[in-house]
Amino acid sequence: MLLDLSEEHKEHLAFLPQVDSTVVAEFGRIAVEFLRRGSNPKVYEGAARKLSVSSDTVQHGVEGLTYLLTESSKLMISELDFQDSVFVLGFSEELNKLLLQLYLDNRKEIRTILSELSPDLPSYHSLEWRLDVQLASRSLRQQIKPSVTIKLHLNQNGDHNTKVLQTDPATLLHLVQQLEQALEEMKTNHCRRVVRNIK
Amino acid sequence: MELSEYVQKGFQMLADPGSFDSNAFTLLLRAAFQSLLDAQADEAVLDHPDLKHIDPVVLKHCHTAAATYILEAGKQRADKSTLSTYLEDCKFDRERIELFCTEYQNNKNTLEILLGSIGRSLPHITDVSWRLEYQIKTNQLHKMYRPAYLVTLNVENTDSRSHPEISFSCNMEQLQDLVGKLKDASKSLERATQL
Repeated sequence: MLLDLSEEHKEHLAFLPQVDSTVVAEFGRIAVEFLRRGSNPKVYEGAARKLSVSSDTVQHGVEGLTYLLTESSKLMISELDFQDSVFVLGFSEELNKLLLQLYLDNRKEIRTILSELSPDLPSYHSLEWRLDVQLASRSLRQQIKPSVTIKLHLNQNGDHNTKVLQTDPATLLHLVQQLEQALEEMKTNHCRRVVRNIK
Repeated sequence: MELSEYVQKGFQMLADPGSFDSNAFTLLLRAAFQSLLDAQADEAVLDHPDLKHIDPVVLKHCHTAAATYILEAGKQRADKSTLSTYLEDCKFDRERIELFCTEYQNNKNTLEILLGSIGRSLPHITDVSWRLEYQIKTNQLHKMYRPAYLVTLNVENTDSRSHPEISFSCNMEQLQDLVGKLKDASKSLERATQL
């Protein structure tokens, strides 16, 4: 699958062959850093002064590079497809190689960052438990009521959330049984076939 | 068991065959248990024709006294001798003491369950449901190809009677971690019950 690059995109990227390959590598580093942490316009100004061009040009160059990397990572295109897609830009062999390397080096991390953008449910982090026995309450003395107290740690959008819950021994066994069945499901023929065939 | 003068007076009236004949006594006793333990019971519990001849103020007093006593006895897990002692002090005859104790014995379990369920506790997990999915792509990321679980815990709040749900996603390792920890807890529970 080839990348479809718009005219505007190609224009932005046209800046890259005009600078040194070290500069392109630096732009690549900035692009990934911006994906990790968010963009910082001051960086554009500094680079613009050093290269004697407008900061807009630098910004477009970096953004073009960012888009190239994210689209390629999102689609997980093969090396060959990446090379073919970039070929239409008419860059030098050296620049093409540099761009490919940039893609391959950063692909995994970019995909991790992109996966954080999907609709997010709280996700499991860890669990602590404690065994308790209730001996009495205001309304009833001389009890022996076992229970399990659970602290569930969840993550959502980077925030850590904890829920403190309780359950009785019978329900605990039921929970274990149900969730073990859930794990077993992945080993069934049906699921194996799906995993094998959808690639 | 510490009981108020009000309760004592009520019981003394209840003990008197002049105010309450055998039939009326039994009816009032049953009414007291019913008011406490039957969720559908209402004020009409004292509206029996065989109780009509008794002064309503007296009826209410005795009913309240009996109900108060029953709750206190249930709370303290009173045994037959404790019950008998108090009733003797209130001048109950043998027959009425026996009747009371039998009625109490019949209702003891229900009473204790009711008393045990009153009180605050943490949200209580009642059930779990799960969903296994195979993630293929999102609009931000294609070719994902990984299994994921969505687990929902059904939770009950004792006070507000609300049923919030706690849902979370996890991958296979995380679910294995979760199940492993719950199994540790249940093994610990087993060991503790054998001590």
